[in-house]
Amino acid sequence: MQMRLLRLAFVVCVLIGLTIAPARTRSNVPDVANGTIRGRVELKQAPPDVARRPNVADVAMARAHDPTDRRRSVVYLETAPRAAFDQRDEPRPKLDQRNEAFVPHVLAIVAGTTVDFPNSDETYHNVFSLSSTKPFDLGRYPAGRSKSIRFDRPGIVRVFCDIHSHMSAFILVFAHRHFAVTDDEGRYRIDNVPPGTYTVVAWNEATPTDSRRVVMPESGGDVETNFSLGRR
Amino acid sequence: MCRPYALATFRALVAALFALTAAPVRAQTLPNAPLTALDGKLTVGAEVVATFGEDDDVAFFNYTDYEHNALRMFRAALAASWRPASRIDVVGEVRTEDFGQVRPYAAYIRVRPWGNHAFDVQVGRIPPAFGAFGRRGYQVADNPLVGYPLAYQYLTSLRSDAIPATAADLLVMRARGWRTTYPIGSTEAAPGLPIVTAFRWDTGVQAHWEGHAMDFTGSVTTGTLSDPRVEDNNSGKQLSGRAAFHPIVGLVAGVSAARGDFLSSAVKHQIENPRDSYPQTALGVDAEYSRDHWLVRGEAIWSRWTMPFATEPHGYDLKATGAFIEGRYRLTPRIFVASRLDRLTFSRLQVGPTWAPTWDAPVTRVEVDAGYYLQRNLVARIAVQANDRDGGRVRQRTYVSGQVAFWF
Repeated sequence: MQMRLLRLAFVVCVLIGLTIAPARTRSNVPDVANGTIRGRVELKQAPPDVARRPNVADVAMARAHDPTDRRRSVVYLETAPRAAFDQRDEPRPKLDQRNEAFVPHVLAIVAGTTVDFPNSDETYHNVFSLSSTKPFDLGRYPAGRSKSIRFDRPGIVRVFCDIHSHMSAFILVFAHRHFAVTDDEGRYRIDNVPPGTYTVVAWNEATPTDSRRVVMPESGGDVETNFSLGRR
Repeated sequence: MCRPYALATFRALVAALFALTAAPVRAQTLPNAPLTALDGKLTVGAEVVATFGEDDDVAFFNYTDYEHNALRMFRAALAASWRPASRIDVVGEVRTEDFGQVRPYAAYIRVRPWGNHAFDVQVGRIPPAFGAFGRRGYQVADNPLVGYPLAYQYLTSLRSDAIPATAADLLVMRARGWRTTYPIGSTEAAPGLPIVTAFRWDTGVQAHWEGHAMDFTGSVTTGTLSDPRVEDNNSGKQLSGRAAFHPIVGLVAGVSAARGDFLSSAVKHQIENPRDSYPQTALGVDAEYSRDHWLVRGEAIWSRWTMPFATEPHGYDLKATGAFIEGRYRLTPRIFVASRLDRLTFSRLQVGPTWAPTWDAPVTRVEVDAGYYLQRNLVARIAVQANDRDGGRVRQRTYVSGQVAFWF
């Protein structure tokens, strides 16, 4: 329920952004400097790793797998300026399958991006998603092979492996370019933000989202906004 | 007898309907990952499976050795794995079927003596070493079909605690494995033995070694493939093992063998000049290949029970062979179809100069399923299963059943 609401809110926000942002930013485009919104997302409680399902039928100790990096958050503008919708040539992002984990665990992309899913493990993987944003099933393929999917609609895509239940990832698809995934310390940085008033949203898979009202001055510069995410 | 099943089915149906109707709205409120505690060292998972179909108190094609109908059953299981040290696992699972007694299905300790070798020793109520379905079919997520293979579920007319006085006694029980009676040993009617039971695990010690392209598993257990036991009933042990080869990713081929004393001492004591041992001997081959959206599996098991009659204490060799091939194809991320072709045959028993019937009635089974994933760990299936038996009161029967399964 919570995920559905989050997904709905996400899509609504992006659509609102699409419709109202051009009008708002048109007057700001000439003679102004773009700025940067940056800060840190702190998680009140570190989300636990996704454990392997206890399989009593295993005749051997389960292989160690890489932990899932669930600390990553995504910070984005709820409404985006027009320039954010410009097309740019960027390298194709990839969601690797390595040591029974998706790397990265959280991927943020612009709608229309094609993502590669290489298998870097010795075993089969079967990447799939049942999300309404982009349902897909890549089937089973061995090490060294890669398949790709194009994501055309904004929304949250939860990705799983059909063979390894502890493998999961999130792909957040945006209609604009003003978003950032946090680094190891929880820091983020959204560049090239035109002057204006924005709602900045912080998302993490394990917590409710949080948002802040941010004003980017005409002179541009850095605006710092920090978040503390956790169960209320 | 109908009453408990009717009640169980009603409850299963309610549970299934609840799950079906609640799922789209509350999909993400259901747990989708195992619960953890003790800093991740304790992992707890669960499985709830409601299978509903028509009542069957005549043909008994799908009855299990616990006297439940595999196509009309509610099952709940709780599994846990605790790792107190880096090379020790304590693993257990309790289950209840049709809201009956909660039973421990798995309870063992796993030790990896050397950290740099993939060699494990397991002690307790352990997974079967023999074959492939016995381990895979234990968890609903790994079994694409609702029904079970005949070799792992269908009850033959043999028992471990009762024997026929003559060959005629055995033939009278032909196609009546769900409830057999014999004059020697326990005289109460009780279910017969499948070739290998998929519903109970044996107790003993197991070792497993895994190499680059092959692995070996060997067990010494108290019971046998057809009659796994916690308490020994004949002082005989079963040796079983499987070698599996995985030359390329996606392909696994295995060969298995098992031999163990299956007849209880209580029956042996009633036979004049009994043999030391009346073993069940079994050989098996299995294979699995998967690629893209396909998954194909096959398995064949040959079993021989050395069965004494009161008139023939040396025993007859009663043989059975079960073989199946099954496949699954995912049409879309949510929808899949699966099918299994299955056959169980029996050796002939020479009871007259010109009369040599099979000692139990051969069965052919075809099942076709379609499934829909409501969420990753919540699946609804519908199955049509046709059975054809060369004997018994009811020789042909087609069942339509549905199943809702949830696990985390």
